[in-house]
Amino acid sequence: MSALERVRYRPRPGDLAPYAILALMILALALLPALTQYTVRTANVYDILQNFASYGLVALALGITIIAGEFDLSVSSMYLLGGMVAVLTGVGSPFLGILAALGTAVVVGLLQGGLIARFRLNSMPVTLGGYLVVLGITYILGHSKSVIYENFSVGLRLDKPVLQIFSIRSLVSLGIFVVAALVLRYLRVGRDIRAIGGDRRAARVAGVTVDRLLVGVFVVSALGAALPGALLSYSLATASPTNIGFDVLTFSATAALIGGVSLSGGKGGAVGIAAGVLSLSVLQEILSILRSPDYVSSLITGGLLVVVTIVWAPDLSRWFRTTRLARSVEPERAPS
Amino acid sequence: MAAALGRLGLERRSIRVPDVALAAWLAMLAGVTAYGAATTTGFLTVSNMKAILTAAAFVGIIAVGLTVIVLSGNLFSLALGQTAAISAMLFLYTLRLGLAAAIVLTLLLGLAIGAVQGFAVGAWRANPIIITIGAAGLMEGMAVWLSHGQSIVPPASETSWQHLAQPVFGLAAPVYVFLVVTAILAVAMHRTRFGRQIYLLGENRVAARAAALPVTLLTVGAFGIASLYTAGSGILIGATSANASLLLTGSYTYDAIAAALVGGNAVTGGRGSIARTAAGAIFIATISDMLLLRGYSTGGQILVRGIIVVVVVVLTNLRERSR
Repeated sequence: MSALERVRYRPRPGDLAPYAILALMILALALLPALTQYTVRTANVYDILQNFASYGLVALALGITIIAGEFDLSVSSMYLLGGMVAVLTGVGSPFLGILAALGTAVVVGLLQGGLIARFRLNSMPVTLGGYLVVLGITYILGHSKSVIYENFSVGLRLDKPVLQIFSIRSLVSLGIFVVAALVLRYLRVGRDIRAIGGDRRAARVAGVTVDRLLVGVFVVSALGAALPGALLSYSLATASPTNIGFDVLTFSATAALIGGVSLSGGKGGAVGIAAGVLSLSVLQEILSILRSPDYVSSLITGGLLVVVTIVWAPDLSRWFRTTRLARSVEPERAPS
Repeated sequence: MAAALGRLGLERRSIRVPDVALAAWLAMLAGVTAYGAATTTGFLTVSNMKAILTAAAFVGIIAVGLTVIVLSGNLFSLALGQTAAISAMLFLYTLRLGLAAAIVLTLLLGLAIGAVQGFAVGAWRANPIIITIGAAGLMEGMAVWLSHGQSIVPPASETSWQHLAQPVFGLAAPVYVFLVVTAILAVAMHRTRFGRQIYLLGENRVAARAAALPVTLLTVGAFGIASLYTAGSGILIGATSANASLLLTGSYTYDAIAAALVGGNAVTGGRGSIARTAAGAIFIATISDMLLLRGYSTGGQILVRGIIVVVVVVLTNLRERSR
């Protein structure tokens, strides 16, 4: 199979899994009034889309790095730094704050992507170092404390319901998803990203500008974390350097993987990732309607992440197919 | 002999640019540390040296265990801090059954947690980073669920655990534990068949499988040892703070990974040693202590650690590449 054949879009029954999961979640939400005394209102749909606005773009960004065969552990601290920079620089003009946050993200992305592409480094340790550096800068900028954003009206305007269920924040996220879906599906750059994730050596031989594309992927990844981070900080009128651990990362990785992004690279798209984010957002909304404690959500998200990772594991089917003896002598496909 | 030296990265070969760059970086770090030591008030005191060793011990025990995962070519685990925290919680809770029972139960739980993660990675080639992120989420959820979100305190009747935190001949007990478990693991990695097979697995997974090495079992062992050591550190952390909750998770995960990376172990596996990680843990504890004494904020400390990690990762990678 040539690299180009591999990356050409061919729907298979398995590709429908993200939408089936989303349908199940929506069904569960719809059945909720029948099983409990709660009614589901348009406010719940608004909440789901707000959650989508807060984390969707991070899942998209992380999904694109996974499609390209890489991973970005620094998104969770970039999310915090985006909010911190926006709040500190956007007191007079919120647009300026957003621009500053995006500019910071471009610098972080260029540095990480540049190192990874130039020296052909494994992205995990580099972005782990990047995570620490970015987190450290966030702490320093906020003097280890939460910073209040005085311009409260900005957050109110960003979150004001539009057509009852949308807000400017969620419309921005949805709009970017539409653009990303079109780019990944129809433009050459989308095919190239899948190519470098599927078989990097073949892509290089086929003339794909691998290094430049990798740098671009990490810039996109940092931008995808910084923008929702900045918007959320405006919405909450505060930015905090507090290490919220891997919450953002856990959510977005789970969403991307549920959305059909393959951990071995080369496979996935923006529409699937959107379905993954929506599934998890609906799930969060169901849990909050049921007033379940926080730990239920982290148990379910953690469990889902483990399950989808195992489902995507390259040797799972072989493990079930072959005996122990046959497996030990069967030649293994060399990692690309 | 040559092979043994090769594993340590000490074999004879021509010196190349990356070697010089790495040496220059190490010399610069040593120089800055020496300058800092000379100019920081209160750094060159016996009590401060003891404080550094104690801090290095908690992270160091976790880091040397993690090194087995790194050497086996499975990158690292992002569930170490949570494993340490829930181990501390379980240890303090099970103290009502007696000290020995509490230690054994906690270590067994640690071993089991790691073995399960290792099985998914070894048998099915599941991505180790994502599996451990998921496992960390599961552990956090379980811990809050079972503890009802409260922190665990040891039973009032039982006081034998306090010895685990008290000084022995002037040094905190965890320091001795760190030295002993590091020595045991260092010897095991070089003298036992398991250790040598881990190196081979990390060096070349395809060859390891072609040579019919028990890849699944080795990976289970690597994650099991890392988690067992983390549980051991969790016991000492719990005994020292006499109060355990998920807050203990702290930055142990990143500090342990940073120690393994700063020690110069190849992230792709197969090359490195337990001793390197132990040195990395002591170095990071020294730097953190110095920054703290010089009045750097939390952010400054995290930033410096991150920069050191990135530079060392780039340089060791270049050095590995040029072989």
